[in-house]
Formats: sequence, structure tokens, C-alpha cells
Amino acid sequence: MFKELDPILHSQLRLAVMSLLISVKEAEFTFLKEKTNATSGNLSVQVNKLKDAGYIEVKKQFNNNYPQTLCKITKTGIDAFEVYVKALQTYMNPDTNSGQ
Amino acid sequence: MQTENLSPQDSIDLIQSMINKTKNAVADNSVFFLLWGWVVFGACVVQYVLKNMLHYQYHYYAWFLIIIGIAGSVYLGVQQGKKQKVKTYVSESINYLWISIGITYFALGFIFAKIGYQNSFTFYILLYGIGCFVTGRLIKFSPLVWGGIGAWLLAVLSAYLDYDTNILVSAISILISYIIPGYLLRMKYKRITTT
Repeated sequence: MFKELDPILHSQLRLAVMSLLISVKEAEFTFLKEKTNATSGNLSVQVNKLKDAGYIEVKKQFNNNYPQTLCKITKTGIDAFEVYVKALQTYMNPDTNSGQ
Repeated sequence: MQTENLSPQDSIDLIQSMINKTKNAVADNSVFFLLWGWVVFGACVVQYVLKNMLHYQYHYYAWFLIIIGIAGSVYLGVQQGKKQKVKTYVSESINYLWISIGITYFALGFIFAKIGYQNSFTFYILLYGIGCFVTGRLIKFSPLVWGGIGAWLLAVLSAYLDYDTNILVSAISILISYIIPGYLLRMKYKRITTT
């Protein structure tokens, strides 16, 4: 049986941000922008949606007198990502999951 | 990047490609290997010359050169921290590994002051081995892994040699475990950042 995919994660840019953050401790907004090739405006909107869902933490601070935005995945975010990947597997291998 | 509907295969591909993009996110640590490599190599050579050629009583003053290493590491660490856009678990593990090795060197200084410096190089070289081997495995860089293995072999050899020869063994050890891998790591990092 197919599992429902989390609508927060099932979006290209939000999934890209979560995939980057799942493998690092924390990353600057500029790092996410560079790796996803997104515009600052779009990325900012999607980052806020992930933050509102409790999937990431966003910390604003100053580094060398320049504003810096740091993003970090939360425990809720890691759990949601794992559930999302498991749900994807049911779509990729429907035969092996049909008997469960 | 748009937010159109994704197929499950698109999602898997996207996750894989993003995770791959973080693989090269480990900071260039070659400067620390080169700094400490040359400082320790220099201290070994200076001590050997002072002790065996100039017969200077206070030959161990050569080790005051490590103050350059400590000051340089603090400065470079702060600079790197300011520039770093991403913190990875690998970078953090490497930092804690070298901090713990640094503290162990410091503690050994006091221990050898009490029990005698005769075999001190053997233990210092063993520690180079641990640091280089673990760092090499974490960043998947074989010259550091082999440098670490080389350091361990030289540590065993040093146990059979006298103190004066061990000064030179320590210099060779630092050359193969820090300096040569340090230059190779710098070349690798430059290649990654230019492609």
C-alpha cells in the first residue's frame, strides 16, 4: 500500500534544503543558496515554511559585522525526512511492500 | 529551482544529488598540517644541531618554536571559522580529535618532566599516527592514512634507538605524516575548488 508523502517535504526546493541539512551539522543560508541554485527570495520563503513546520531551526547572528543566517535540521525534521524516504520506498518497490 | 510535482524517482535523485554536494564540504585543513609539520620539523632539526653539533646545554629550547604553531593555529582557526559556510560532523570530529591530541601532548610534557624524556619521541610519534590515520579515514584521503601507518612503524623503531637519533626519526615521521600529505591535501582541495 502506498504511503502518503509529506506535503512539506514533497516540494523540490524544500526537499533539496532538507537533503543538504540532513548530512551536515549546520549550514549558512548562502551555502544552501549556492548548492540549490535558488533565488534568495524563493529560498527564504521555503526555509520559513520548513521552520514553521518545526523541521529546521533558523538562527540569525552577526559574523564580522555581517548578518549571517544559520540553518540546522531538528529532531522532528530528521524523523519527518526518514518517514518521507520510507514512504518513497513504497512507491519504488511496490511489490515488496504490498504484502506488509 | 521550481516546486512542481515530483515523481518518487525525482525525489530520490534530488536527495542523492544534494547529499553528494555536501561530500566536499569539509574545510581545507592542509594549512594546519603544513604549519605544524614545518614547526615540529624545524624544532627537531634545531634541537639536533644544538645538541649534537653545537653541544649546547639547553638544546630543548628549540621546542619553544611550538609557540608559533599554537599562535598560528588559533589565528587560522578563527579565520577559517569566519569563512566557513557549513559545519559538518566530519569537520567537528576532526577538530575534537586534534584538540584531544594537543591536550595529550601538553599532558605528556608534564609526565616526561617527571619520568624522564629518554623515550618521549616514541609516544609523540605514536600520537601523530593516531591523528593522521583517523583524519585520513574521515576525509577519505589515503596519503594521511599511510602517513599515520608510517608514523606508527617509526614509533616502534624509535623504541630501539637512542634519544639523539630519535630527534631525526621524529623529523622524518613529521615529514611523511604531516608535510607530504599536507601538500597533497592542499593540491586536492585546490583541484576540487577549481572544478
